[in-house]
Formats: sequence, C-alpha cells, structure tokens
Amino acid sequence: MAALQEADGCVEPAVLPLETTVPPDPRAVSETSRDTAGFETLLSAVVNAAYGYAFRLAHNRSDAEDLVQEAALLAFRGFGSFEPGSNFKGWFFKILTNCYRSKYRRERRRPTVDFDDTPDLYLYARSGEVGFPTDGPDPAAALLDTLGTERVVAALEQLPDEYRIVSTLYFMQDFSYEEIAHTLDCPVGTVRSRLHRGRKILQKALWQAAEEAGVIHARSADL
Amino acid sequence: MSEHPNQMTCEEAFRRLDDFIDRQLIPEEMRLVQEHLAVCAQCTREFNFELSVINGVRDKVSRIAAPSDLLARIASSLTRAGQEGPAGPEGGG
Repeated sequence: MAALQEADGCVEPAVLPLETTVPPDPRAVSETSRDTAGFETLLSAVVNAAYGYAFRLAHNRSDAEDLVQEAALLAFRGFGSFEPGSNFKGWFFKILTNCYRSKYRRERRRPTVDFDDTPDLYLYARSGEVGFPTDGPDPAAALLDTLGTERVVAALEQLPDEYRIVSTLYFMQDFSYEEIAHTLDCPVGTVRSRLHRGRKILQKALWQAAEEAGVIHARSADL
Repeated sequence: MSEHPNQMTCEEAFRRLDDFIDRQLIPEEMRLVQEHLAVCAQCTREFNFELSVINGVRDKVSRIAAPSDLLARIASSLTRAGQEGPAGPEGGG
C-alpha cells in the first residue's frame, strides 16, 4: 500500500521553524514551567491518537510527526485559552486539523473513485451478488478481512479531503458527531451529511479495492 | 415489512440508519427503529451489515502507535519555546 511504503521509506522530517513572534518575558519562566508540566500531562494522554490521526491525514510518518509537533507547539502557546476540565483532545485535534489544512491547502488530491452515483447499501448489494456473507453476527468481516488492513486504509485515504477528515475522526478516533463538529468548526448537520456520503464513497472504494486485488474474481470462481 | 400503523416503514427506518447506528436519534425514534427491526428481517440484515462494515473499518484503521520518542521530542521543543516566553491565546481554542 502506497502510504505505508512511503512511511517505511520516509525521509528525514523537515525542521519546522519555531515561531518567536512574542518577545521573552523574564517573569514567565516559573509560570511557564508550571504550564509546561500540565500541558505535557494532557498531551501525553492524546499523543498516540493525535499521531495516528496525523498519519492518516499526511500519509507518512515524517509529515505526521511534523504535524503533531507543530500542533503541540501552537497548542502550548495558546494553552491559556484552554478551559481547564474541558475536552483537551477535541481542542488539540482542532489545532492539529488546522495545521494540516494550512500546510496542505494547496495539495488537492484527485479522487480515484467516481462516487457521484454510489447507491446506498453498495457493499451489501455487491457482496450478495458474488457470494460474500450478508447475514450473520459480523457479515462484512469476510470481505474486510480478505481485503486486509492496508487496502482498507488505502480506501479511506482515497476519499476527498472534506469526507476523509470527517471519516478519519469517526472511524479512527470514535468521535461523536458533536466532537467532530467542534474539531472542524462546522455544524453537526454538515458532519452528518459528510459522514453519510463519506461512508458511501468508502464502500465503493472498498469494493473497487477488492476487485483490483482479485478478491471478487476469486470469490465468484468459487461459487 | 411493517404493517402496523404506529410502526415505521422500511423506508422510514432506512432514512434513520446512520443516526440509529451512531445513537443520534432521540429516544422515541430509537425505540421506533428498534420496533421495526424486531419485525423486519430484511432491514435487520441491512442494518447489521452496515454496522459490521463500520466496526470492521474502525478495527483496521485505528492501530497506529506514535514513535516512542515523539513525546520527548515535543517536550524538548516546548522547553525551548518556554524559555523564549509565553504567547497569548491562539490556535484552535
């Protein structure tokens, strides 16, 4: 899978310049130390999830690390605006998402799946046609397990950005609609509609991946 | 297929599929969908399949661990930033 190959052969991460727009304040050292400890405690609880999210957005380890580090620095500098006791993960993911958007704004990825005409229950219908299970306790497991993690991830990565970011937060982080809306600064209704469409596109992408991998042909031949 | 006038039709239930799976419906609508599923094998199959896809994708995309030294590197950069001085609120607050 392309993204993981890139990840394995990643180049040295680019060094991001530290933003030093505010002059040092001699009184700030002790206050900053206290804030640093508190910030690091909160960050340590979400850093794995943040890296995973960044990796899915950026497609390789180097860029993912850069994104998390950049977001951490921005979050640290804006830590005064974080309301103690509120959702730090959501707050940090919002900053991380904004970092990604500003950094990759110009990299418009062209979708490789034509999703305009994807009907509902696409995977269900197609699975039934070729003899993959559509019933039972976990009916999609046969298809998804045959596809494997790399192809499933690749299918998710094919989604256009507006659907991919929402879907990544949903599938990977188990965020609620409200948490996604807060993270992306958009109405819950927008999250709902993008998730709905994102799921449909993903199902088509998964089926396309299965066809390209020969999974469907092999299954049909077994019937 | 539902025939009771107070129960949802398949179409009405299907329109709520995503919200039902994600528990976004109000309790009354959750109950109506559940009642429909209790009597409609076809919708139950479709709902279960969609849930299975979601759970399967979740299971496969969520296994990424950060490099073991990432937090230490971040801490180091924060220390440097702290020595440079704090800034006002910014970012995503």
